[in-house]
Amino acid sequence: MATSTDAPPAASLSGLTLSLERDGVRSDVLRGIDLEIARGEIVGLVGESGSGKSVLALALMGLLPHRSHPEVGGAIRVAGVDMVHGRAEELRAVRRNELGVIFQDPMTSLNPTMRIGDQVTEASGTSEESLRLLTAVGIADAELRFRVYPHELSGGLRQRVMAAIAVAGRPSLIIADEPTTALDVTVQAQVLDLLRELRDEFGCSVVLITHDLAVAGQIADRIAVLYAGRIAEVGPTGEVLHAPTHPYTVGLLRSRLSLGTPRDQELRTLRPETGTPAERMLGCAYHTRCPLAVERCRVEQPPLLDIALASAPGIGGEVALTADLPTDERLGPADHDRACWRTVDDVQGFIHDTANAAPLTSRVAPGPGREPAVRVTDLTVTFALRQNRRQRGAGSSAAREVRALRGLNLTVEPGEAVSIVGESGSGKSTLLRVIGGLTPATSGSVALAAGGAQMVFQDAGSSLTPWLTVGELLGERLAPLGLGRTENRARIDRALTSIGLPLSVARVRPAELSGGQRQRVALARATMIPPAVLLCDEPTSALDASLAASVLNLIREMRRELEMTVLFVTHDLSVARLMGDRIVVMTQGEIVEVGTSADVIERPEHPYTRRLLASVPEIGATV
Amino acid sequence: MSATGIVSPRLRMPGPVRARRRTGRGLSWALVALVALLTLLAIFARLLAPYDPVQPIGALSLPPGSPDHLLGTDSIGRDLLSRTLYGIQVSWFAALVVVVSGLVIGGIIGTLAGVAGGFIDNLLMRFTDLFLALPGTLVAIAIVAALGYNLQNTLIGIGVVWWPYYARIIRGEVKALASRPHVEAARLAGAGPARIVFRHVLPGVIPTAIVTASLDIGNVVLLLAGLSFLGLGQPAPAPELGADTARNLGQLLTEPWIPLIPGLAVLLLSLVANLGGDGVRTLIGGRR
Repeated sequence: MATSTDAPPAASLSGLTLSLERDGVRSDVLRGIDLEIARGEIVGLVGESGSGKSVLALALMGLLPHRSHPEVGGAIRVAGVDMVHGRAEELRAVRRNELGVIFQDPMTSLNPTMRIGDQVTEASGTSEESLRLLTAVGIADAELRFRVYPHELSGGLRQRVMAAIAVAGRPSLIIADEPTTALDVTVQAQVLDLLRELRDEFGCSVVLITHDLAVAGQIADRIAVLYAGRIAEVGPTGEVLHAPTHPYTVGLLRSRLSLGTPRDQELRTLRPETGTPAERMLGCAYHTRCPLAVERCRVEQPPLLDIALASAPGIGGEVALTADLPTDERLGPADHDRACWRTVDDVQGFIHDTANAAPLTSRVAPGPGREPAVRVTDLTVTFALRQNRRQRGAGSSAAREVRALRGLNLTVEPGEAVSIVGESGSGKSTLLRVIGGLTPATSGSVALAAGGAQMVFQDAGSSLTPWLTVGELLGERLAPLGLGRTENRARIDRALTSIGLPLSVARVRPAELSGGQRQRVALARATMIPPAVLLCDEPTSALDASLAASVLNLIREMRRELEMTVLFVTHDLSVARLMGDRIVVMTQGEIVEVGTSADVIERPEHPYTRRLLASVPEIGATV
Repeated sequence: MSATGIVSPRLRMPGPVRARRRTGRGLSWALVALVALLTLLAIFARLLAPYDPVQPIGALSLPPGSPDHLLGTDSIGRDLLSRTLYGIQVSWFAALVVVVSGLVIGGIIGTLAGVAGGFIDNLLMRFTDLFLALPGTLVAIAIVAALGYNLQNTLIGIGVVWWPYYARIIRGEVKALASRPHVEAARLAGAGPARIVFRHVLPGVIPTAIVTASLDIGNVVLLLAGLSFLGLGQPAPAPELGADTARNLGQLLTEPWIPLIPGLAVLLLSLVANLGGDGVRTLIGGRR
């Protein structure tokens, strides 16, 4: 076993605890983390939002925000330097020489006022070296790109520039915090490949932080699953993905949507959090959501132990504590550890239990003979582009307008659900906005059945007016009906019940709700008076997998109940397959393929569709 | 200016952490309380003033600290404390009137321009630019000179040049808010133009407007005092801080308190107004 060769680990965390203060309230963000990142190793750090994974990245860099008054316990060592107590100059030296960072949004982490070349050179020293780096991260025409500004590059290229800066100082460790989340699937795959190549070429270690187990599965050697500031499970990638031993990992894998998820069943979700913070502090943090929780989970925190040890017979059997073990049995890179009181057999037995997947009741049959719900004819949309002199000089003079849609035809039958798939810039959102009447058509026509269109936006937070209460926002839809106060109230209550939120939410402002709850409210507003067609613009792309699944369930349920027509825009083929009877594939303002979901996924005809399909990160064997 | 604050999304943790001064919430409240105190002082000036401000009632040129005249008397025996209190009343309320009228006129023009866009936006904004391009103080002086010297005309004069600033800021805020998804969502939800403006856009402008206005009061106090210093205020016997400073400037070396006391009152007013504005900015800025 290549566990403990003479080379020290690139980074090590031992017994790391961290509490931060926000608005005067102190909360424990990390609660005892032991993790070692070996040289040349890629470790995937996976968790939902709020699991503490991004804070962990900041802690590794020694960049915890001062204003949150961090209190750190335990130790963080990067390249042998204590990142908790080290002097500021020491930490800076480590960041300069040993660490490289890639953030989620390269637009905000690149300096918009500096040329790309200068920014890379700042880190690399010489412009020759910068050119070499830019070429190394796969930027074609590096010399040309040298003089451009970040906004002139696409998202994928920007992320490559970030990568070039990250490796410029020959770091021993690259920290990549959700580096692919903001990117299209095809670009996502390239950036992940790039990370692996960087490791292979420069021999650095990588900490890949992500919410998606499959993304980590693509390149990580090991995966650590984080829940509520603790490691729930850590082990070699293959084992964690295919033989998970912690109920939370199992839950994540089960709620993850893939191209193999059964279409005719309700999507499986994790149980929503019901416990109070105090309950979570005691015992296993996951026990309030865990379907396998027993009494012991409520009162005693399970230690992180090797699965070979923890699978001792009987629930809560005699489990040896780490301290009693010979040292070579403690955490090592190739070990598979977990923190759970239930036996491995119990957890793995649960994997194959599909009892709680409720089948979907009868689908809405598209009613032939009726007028179509949406008919789009020869639709084109052209945006005039304002250019500055520099750009005009560089490009051809003809490129003054962008043709977002180029003569589209689409007919959607009443009651039908159609998914529109494409990458950013494909025109899919523009199509939706034209149908919703938010963007005017340049030519062509859109005809809607009586009832009009309603829309659910990608970012529910910004689609709800921040200073109005949920009740006021919902009531707005009813205003034209002139129903009177009591009837309005009753309708609002009914709408809240239908989306599974308590009635008290009516008095609350959007900021006080979670992302998933806000999207539910947006959905309730759109469907309070059933529209002829419900337009969904990537409503779940900002949500954690399990939350996304529950919102998708809700949309499917509402569609059935209200016999609604749904147009669902997404960049994710697995979501498109689940939400649509038909799938429309768009690229560069044109529809390149239309077909039933099964046909498009199983027998894609257009090369672009095939390329999209090949880029979807998958976990092979289904759980 | 804090005009962009409201549209910036809350920053996630990574990236440059902008240090926002979160300390001093208590201090901010104290500053706002100071403004409230000053307003009370202005409201009850007539009750607090020990004497008639216009009548000569004491010995001539008494220095401050005299038993019957706390701040002394001027060269014809009028009580300086009473004159200053009356002067504060006039200045303070005149400043409020100007700022409120600026908010109202600028608010209407800015909102119209921001909501309508296109030609109307251009027209209104070029009109606003015209006023911004003119030297405001000179225009105000010209207007007062043409209409005649009294307080009412001074207010009109300043009011005419004071709104363009607000129009610009409010237009910017309205435009930024109107392009946010929640406005599109409201439009889809069936809200009419009036409903969108009054429910989904304008409430978001209020914090910026209040902050801008509260920081601006001090400027108006100074300008008013300046105009009255130049003789463009109320006619002679009326107590006015700027005019009192100007008229008695000759005694600066012999009886310095006579011009200095009204001058210091102006300083106090604009200082308190600015501090209060800072307080309001911290309090409102922190919440949104």
